[in-house]
Amino acid sequence: MTGGRRRAAPPTIAGPTHDEGVPAGQDRPVDPRAIRVGVAASTRLEGDPAITISPPIDPATRLPQDGDSAAELPLVDGVPTPARLERFGEVRARLVEPAATGTDGRDVRTDLQLGPVRIDPGHGKQLREVVVAGWRIEVELEFERRAVLRERARRGAGVASLGGPVEVRAIIPGRVVAVLVAVGESVEAGQQVLVVEAMKMQNELRAPREGAVERIGVAVGDTIEVGDLLVVIH
Amino acid sequence: MRTTATLPVTPPFRRILVANRGEIALRIIRAAHELGMEAVAVYSDADTMAAHVRAADLAVRLGPAPPAESYLDAELVIAAAVGTGADAIHPGYGFLSERASFARAVEEAGLVFVGPPPAAIAALGDKLNARRVAHANGVPHVPGTLEAVAVDRPDQLAAVLAAAAAVGFPLLVKAAAGGGGRGMRRVAAADELPAALVAGSREAAAAFGDGAVYLEREIMPARHIEVQLLGDSTGQVVALGERDCSTQRRHQKLIEESPAPGLTEKERHLLHAMAVRLGAAAGLQNAATVEFLYDRDGSFWFLEVNTRLQVEHPVTELVAGIDIVAEQFRLAAGAPLSPSVLAAAGRAVRPTRHAIEVRISAEDPARAFAPTPGRITRWVIPAGPGIRVDTAVEAGDVVPADYDPLICKLIVHAADRPAALVRLRRALGEVEIGGIQTTLPFHMAMLAEPGFLDATGLSTSWVDAHWDGPASRAGAVRIASLAAGLAQLGHGESDGRGDGSEPRGPQDRQGPAHARRVGGDPSGDPAWRAAGRAVAIDRWPR
Repeated sequence: MTGGRRRAAPPTIAGPTHDEGVPAGQDRPVDPRAIRVGVAASTRLEGDPAITISPPIDPATRLPQDGDSAAELPLVDGVPTPARLERFGEVRARLVEPAATGTDGRDVRTDLQLGPVRIDPGHGKQLREVVVAGWRIEVELEFERRAVLRERARRGAGVASLGGPVEVRAIIPGRVVAVLVAVGESVEAGQQVLVVEAMKMQNELRAPREGAVERIGVAVGDTIEVGDLLVVIH
Repeated sequence: MRTTATLPVTPPFRRILVANRGEIALRIIRAAHELGMEAVAVYSDADTMAAHVRAADLAVRLGPAPPAESYLDAELVIAAAVGTGADAIHPGYGFLSERASFARAVEEAGLVFVGPPPAAIAALGDKLNARRVAHANGVPHVPGTLEAVAVDRPDQLAAVLAAAAAVGFPLLVKAAAGGGGRGMRRVAAADELPAALVAGSREAAAAFGDGAVYLEREIMPARHIEVQLLGDSTGQVVALGERDCSTQRRHQKLIEESPAPGLTEKERHLLHAMAVRLGAAAGLQNAATVEFLYDRDGSFWFLEVNTRLQVEHPVTELVAGIDIVAEQFRLAAGAPLSPSVLAAAGRAVRPTRHAIEVRISAEDPARAFAPTPGRITRWVIPAGPGIRVDTAVEAGDVVPADYDPLICKLIVHAADRPAALVRLRRALGEVEIGGIQTTLPFHMAMLAEPGFLDATGLSTSWVDAHWDGPASRAGAVRIASLAAGLAQLGHGESDGRGDGSEPRGPQDRQGPAHARRVGGDPSGDPAWRAAGRAVAIDRWPR
């Protein structure tokens, strides 16, 4: 990449100013065309960054200066980024990025699979499976303005859930082979509570924090699916 | 479709039943057909449309998806064989393959069990007993107990702890009937031992119907090297070569290769001879594998015997030039070791090919290899010189949660290890899988590991100690986000044909790129197609 790429995604970017709907308290406006791209919950790992990507700066609001070749480039986290996507039919694609300085100067080409766009029925976000070097990453896309509003709403809801009950849900499908705690029993963080058999392996499920077992949603022999409520710890 | 008229040899059996599923069932059915035999498949309700069912000449439903009610039910399997008039049963690997009681029941039903005799399975398949056989025959075994630990006897705890102290910590609790790491627990200190014994015994009882466990010293760092044996009914046992399966995680193998890199011819001689001695002493026939640990100072330690076909048998087949499954059928029908097998065994200490297998499994290498069952939406596998792919899935198939997560074995072979590694990198780059996460990125990352590439870092503990899935995945997250964002904007996107013109507006962002006009024709078709159609229109004017 030419120029520095910022790791963290700032909630706002520098850009055109023809947006009347700037929320109060926002120091900089959001390009109404900007899109927030993050990893969807189905494949997200803690610490996965989100990026904001917007089309090149609108010449109606900012005249490109002489010799400003970046004016044609899309902005990634506000930085003009010379990345290009080549498509080969419906699924195959290739991301082409200029070589980093100090290398042999050839473009960096990464082949990838770009799945069809789906709509997440819960949030209305667009979901898309992208496979890069064997990693299957489901990305979610929504307008940056909407993402900012959502974050504000979540902050407004406060942190009332701290200290509340913790629901332990199944992250893999399988069969419950042992329930090692009873309702009302107090457990320590890391204590084994269930044994789930999946794909021939016995997976020991542990309490995420200390507390009392408020509910057990499964019994020995039950077949469980991803997302099923297993244990509630209060 | 199949014709028996052109076969050069008499089929070993008329009809055989394959008591397994997935890629190994398909692989055995293929061998059966190539030998001119009919194949009977069995299946559970999770596999009604599976490839092994489609490939077979007959298929028998066993029961619901859980293995205990289908593939692990010996009575159902034998009844299916008797009911379809099969002469023999091939158990594959896993499921019933290493149960002496099953092999015995097959013989009592008047059928042939394609594998070692029940007595040899009992003698070698029971790991504790195998250790005693090794002990009696002067084959060095991993230090540990030679008797089962009394798990259910609290009064014996002091004796157990004393035995553990004699073995030394860290040690492993292992299931006498175990395999694939099931029933195994690592114990770093004495206070962890009671819980590990209970957990290991319970998992062993659930998986194998036998909760017996024993203690064994953890030899680390070590390489896992195993020897492929074939034996006939005259008592002759030969080694077909060895495999290095050191790249494993929690005792689940991930990459296997043959020959084991870096062994001298003298070491191969010693290793193969130890394996043959052990197999012959236990009355081995048909196929089995003797596993050893190879420690840093060059010693081999006997680990266990697998009295069945191994998952990784293809690497040996490609180096030795032998179809091990076909040989199993011939040997089971009473034939002596064939001249081609004897010749391959004679060459085994001086291998002239190199083969590497990677196991592509429905597991997430960024989440501690957690299973990822689900529907495969895209499935493109590599082709070309030196490539073998053993799989039974395709796009649209669901990988069930009920069974082993292995979905595909990609095997490459070449003249030597460096050439095989280059070929493997090329082949992995051709794989396209969508819908589920697989171990593919782990394998791609290993091909950038200096210690794997020069074989100096091969160790059974490497993956657990060094693999950082999330770090390996981070670069892919950035590229995926960027690509999806650019696709959404429709900016800077071209159709890969090199014209790079006509950036697409956001309004047609979901339109198929290949539908765009490329040149020449106002209707939007490519030039060659327009030219072809002009001829057709001239010929048949409307």
